[in-house]
Amino acid sequence: MQTVTLVDLTVLWAITGSIIAALFLTVGIDRIDEDARDSYFFRPLIAPGVILLWPLVLWRWRVLETGRDDWKKRHGPPRRAHSGAALLLAVLVPLIFVSALLARQHWPVDVMPVRVAPPAGGQVQ
Amino acid sequence: MSVRYIPVQWNRTKWIYDAVMLAAVGGLLWVFLYVTPDLLAHEKPVSGPIHTARAFGVCAFLMLTVILCMGPLARLDRRFLPLLYNRRHFGVMTLFVAITHAASVLNWYFAFSPLGKYEALLSANDSYGQLAGFPFEVFGMAGLFVLAVMATTSHDFWMKFLTPRLWKSLHYLVYPAYAAIVAHISLGVLQDTQNQTLAWMTGAAAGVVILLHLAAALRELRAGDPATDVRGDWEAVCRVDEISEGLARVARLANGDRVAVFRQAGKLSAIANACAHQNGPLGEGRVIDCLVTCPWHGFQYNVTDGRSPAPFTEMVPTYRLKLSDGIVLVDPMANPPGTYVEPVIVTTAASQERPA
Repeated sequence: MQTVTLVDLTVLWAITGSIIAALFLTVGIDRIDEDARDSYFFRPLIAPGVILLWPLVLWRWRVLETGRDDWKKRHGPPRRAHSGAALLLAVLVPLIFVSALLARQHWPVDVMPVRVAPPAGGQVQ
Repeated sequence: MSVRYIPVQWNRTKWIYDAVMLAAVGGLLWVFLYVTPDLLAHEKPVSGPIHTARAFGVCAFLMLTVILCMGPLARLDRRFLPLLYNRRHFGVMTLFVAITHAASVLNWYFAFSPLGKYEALLSANDSYGQLAGFPFEVFGMAGLFVLAVMATTSHDFWMKFLTPRLWKSLHYLVYPAYAAIVAHISLGVLQDTQNQTLAWMTGAAAGVVILLHLAAALRELRAGDPATDVRGDWEAVCRVDEISEGLARVARLANGDRVAVFRQAGKLSAIANACAHQNGPLGEGRVIDCLVTCPWHGFQYNVTDGRSPAPFTEMVPTYRLKLSDGIVLVDPMANPPGTYVEPVIVTTAASQERPA
C-alpha cells in the first residue's frame, strides 16, 4: 500500500511539475529573464528540470518577480564547502566499501546442493 | 555567452570534446559487452539483459568518477583546465548511460512481477535492518535522481535563474551521490565473491577520487588565496609590486568574498573574483586591453566596470581601491555589478616604496 502511494505521489509530482513547466516556459520565463525573450528552442531543454524541481522554480520565480533578488549573493561561490565534501568522501566511501565487503557471505567451493523436503504436514504449492 | 539563450552553444572545441567522449564511452561498452564479457560475469553465466545492465552500470560509474576527477585535477594543474570546458555534456551523457542501466534492470529483474515494475522495485526487498542483503537499489535510485537534477539544470539559464550560489550548492549533491553509488555497487554486484575484478576497479576508482579531492583541498588550505589585513574601513591586499603587469592578485576579504586586483598599463582595478557565468576564478585570467578572460569558459569582463563587452550583458561587482605607502588597499563594500571605478595609477615611487 505504501509502495503504491509512493508511486502515485511521484506521478502526482510529475503532473504538477508539467503544469507549472507549461506556465513558466510560456509566461513566466519572459517576465524574469530578458535573455529568454524571443528565444524558444532552448525551452524544451528547461522543462525536465522544472518538472523535477518545481517548488524551487516557484520560489525563485516569486523572488525575481517581486524584485527581492540580492545581487551580492550571485558573486560568492560556496568554495569553502569543497573541503567538507572532500572529507565526507574520504570518510564515507571507504567505510561503505569496506563494510559491504566484510558483509559478503563466503561458501565452500565444493559444497554439494541439498534437496530440501517440505515440512511435515505442509503443502507444496 | 548571454544575449539570447540557444539550446547548445556549439563550437569546434565542443564538437571535438564530445566526439572523444562518445568514442570513449562506446569503446568502454564494446570492451565490456564483447571483448571481455567475463569481466562482468557472475559465478554462473548471466543472461544478455543482465550483462547489458552491468556494462552500462560500470560505464556510468566510471564516467562519474572521471567527472569528479576533473575539478581537482584542474585545481592542481592548469593543464587539465580544458577538461572542465565541456563537463556538462559529460554529465548529461552519464545520465543517459545510467538511465539505460536502470531501464535494463527494471525490464529484467522486475518485469515479471504481478505488481507493476516500479511497485516491485520498491517492495521486493525490505531488509533495511541488515547489511547483507540490504536493498541496494535505493542507493542507485538516489544517485540517479541527483544525476537527473544535475543534468536537467545544466543549461546556462539555470545558473542565472537559481543564482550561482544556489546552483553550485545543488550540484554539491554529486558528492553524497557518489557515496550512494559506491554503496549501490558494494552492496549489490560486489556481494558476489567469485569475481574480484569489479571490487578492485571500484576501490581503485573511488580511491583516486578521494585522493585528488583531498590533495586539492589541502592545496587550497596551504596555498589558497591569502586573507586581507583589515585597516579600519579598508583592507590591505598586498604590496603594489607583487602584482605583475597583465595579471591579478586575489585575496579573501574579511566578509569571505574574494577580490581580484588587476594591473594593466600601469593602473590598478579591482573586481569580484567570481565569474558571473559559473563563478570561475577571474583572478587567474590575463588582462588584455582592459578585458580579463575567465580561464574556465572564456567569458570576458572589463576590469574597470566589471561589464562584459557588448552585446554580452554579464556583469560582476567592482571595488574601490587606493594606494598607501606602496600597499594596495581595497574598500570591502562591493559596488553593484557594472559600476565604473576610476583605475588607480601606479607611480614609479609607489611601486618602489617598502613599508617599514
